[in-house]
Amino acid sequence: MNKLYRGLARPYQIWLIILVFIPLLAMVLISISNYNASLSLSEVQITFADWDLLFQHQTLVAFKNSLVYASLTTIISFVLGYFVAYQIKQSRIKNKFIILTIIILPMWSNLILRTEGLLNIMEENNILKSIIGFSLLGNIAGTPFAVLFGLVFTYMPFMILPIYTALEKIDISLEEASQDLGVTPFKTFWKVIFPLSLKGVVTGSIMVFLPTMAGFAIPKILSKGNIVLIGNIIDQKFLYTTFNDGSLLAVVILIVILGSLLIITRFDKEGETLL
Amino acid sequence: MEKKKALIELIDVTKTYDDENVVDNISLTIFENEFVTLLGPSGCGKTTTLRMIAGFVQPDKGSVIINGKLFNDLPPYARPIHTVFQRYALFPHLNVFDNVAFGLNNRSWDYLTHFFGLDEVTEEAIKITGGEPTKAAMKKVVKSKIDKAVRDALTMVKLKGFENRKVDQISGGQQQRVALARALVNRPQILLLDEPLAALDLKLRQAMQYELKEMQRKLGITFVFVTHDQEEAMTMSDRIVVMKDGVIQQLGTPKSIYNEPVNRYVANFIGESNIIPGTYVKKDLVNFLGVDFACMGYNFADGEKVDVVIRPEDFDVVDVTKAKITGKVIFSLFKGVHNELEVQIGETVLLLHTYESYEIGQPIGLSIDPYEIHMMKVEVNE
Repeated sequence: MNKLYRGLARPYQIWLIILVFIPLLAMVLISISNYNASLSLSEVQITFADWDLLFQHQTLVAFKNSLVYASLTTIISFVLGYFVAYQIKQSRIKNKFIILTIIILPMWSNLILRTEGLLNIMEENNILKSIIGFSLLGNIAGTPFAVLFGLVFTYMPFMILPIYTALEKIDISLEEASQDLGVTPFKTFWKVIFPLSLKGVVTGSIMVFLPTMAGFAIPKILSKGNIVLIGNIIDQKFLYTTFNDGSLLAVVILIVILGSLLIITRFDKEGETLL
Repeated sequence: MEKKKALIELIDVTKTYDDENVVDNISLTIFENEFVTLLGPSGCGKTTTLRMIAGFVQPDKGSVIINGKLFNDLPPYARPIHTVFQRYALFPHLNVFDNVAFGLNNRSWDYLTHFFGLDEVTEEAIKITGGEPTKAAMKKVVKSKIDKAVRDALTMVKLKGFENRKVDQISGGQQQRVALARALVNRPQILLLDEPLAALDLKLRQAMQYELKEMQRKLGITFVFVTHDQEEAMTMSDRIVVMKDGVIQQLGTPKSIYNEPVNRYVANFIGESNIIPGTYVKKDLVNFLGVDFACMGYNFADGEKVDVVIRPEDFDVVDVTKAKITGKVIFSLFKGVHNELEVQIGETVLLLHTYESYEIGQPIGLSIDPYEIHMMKVEVNE
């Protein structure tokens, strides 16, 4: 390759090393130390003393919450998202790109802003009530449903897009071949279309599951602090400068993420459904 | 020829896309155990016609009648017709065996017991249980029967031992056989083939042509074959339907279509030919290239203008002194079995095949036997 082009890749490579690899390494090291803000650097040593954090009640509940909310969000996004993707695929509209753009349109505004807005219409007195007189979501702020709603609302596009890509790749003649062999359209969907779109489902699920599992902003805002996910604990730990605890939990999540990526690559060797 | 039963009848069928009649008022009857080929260039409506028989396309006008019943609105899955698709359309998530078994595996219980014979299934189930033919035992019998049917179908297409292969791990020719087995295992009354050989290389294509013809004869299934390759059509078909712009140009046996094309289009499409303007002087005498030729079997008005069709291989090369017409060789190409020559006679250039070789510029004498001269009405609008 041209030397100039190789040179142009350098800035990002350096950026990656300084801002991603080194911090990651530091995080792993800190997780096996006693490092926090109250210690001077000379007092820092390698220790597993704080690892009992992993088995504390609060941590376990947070892990459980994270798993439950991430799983529920993934399942709901899958059930609702699959049929949206299927509808788009089946539609006769020529420029499907426009529909997909509309679906990712909410992502163009800031996540926190969007979530705060959502919180507002979930409050007892909200902007919708003052404008149109009622709000279907009124008075649910702080409940588990509010959190789930916010998570699904935010992450659904990540489910729809890879499923749509997978569906769009299925040759129409396969559907015809199935019907030609005497299989009804309904059964054709389950025997041909669905199995062939599984790649997209797996990719989409992981793309929804991971950020929900590790995220902290949406549950914090919409539950008004009632529901604590693992991300919220990490947030707290760093806020209170117990860096080693925060790092430890972050490493656990990192391991979950790496495990998921391993699953992705097993299902999707070419990475074709990853947008 | 024995009287055959009409199996597929298309009556005044029209299909319009965007104000264009892709299939324009076609009527066609296909008989039992027949190998019929729809032949024409792409866009001539042959595939649309096939898809109307399969049920993927509904005709805008006219009726599709199969076995004497109106099939117009019957969905594809309810028709006793199976298709071998152009690019095979094998299911990539299933192996070879499951692809072939797909149709039978997804049929209803009633269909399967009927398919394999309820009495036979019951009898074998009794043998297993030694008493009552339980549903479980019957299910087992049907399963083993499907298994056997699939293996038989794979054996028939010479793919024994490939059962567990993935469909993307086999060659194009093998995929094509899987597609064939997948359709045939369901014992269809009618098999539709949509240019199934187009993606194969020449050698394989020729081999498959014979195999398909053999299979059709052996199984007694009606084959409706779509192709744009006239040689393929010639080799396999009992009858050929030549189509152009959604209209049937000519319908007949390969021989009659080759020897007696009804118009310029068919003559040009089916093999190479020379079309020479001429005049039908009187009965059994035609004048073209300034010479009177004896001809036979055509009736036109005396003095009517006609188009004379002569196939390149139908010229007899004779000594210049004895020749009816003489010309000069302007192009010569060795083609293996024969030489292809272009001969100039006056303003006309004729294409002819001969076993002897000629140098460019050499004079050549030609004569034509009366039965080799074919005539068509002159088309006004061309």
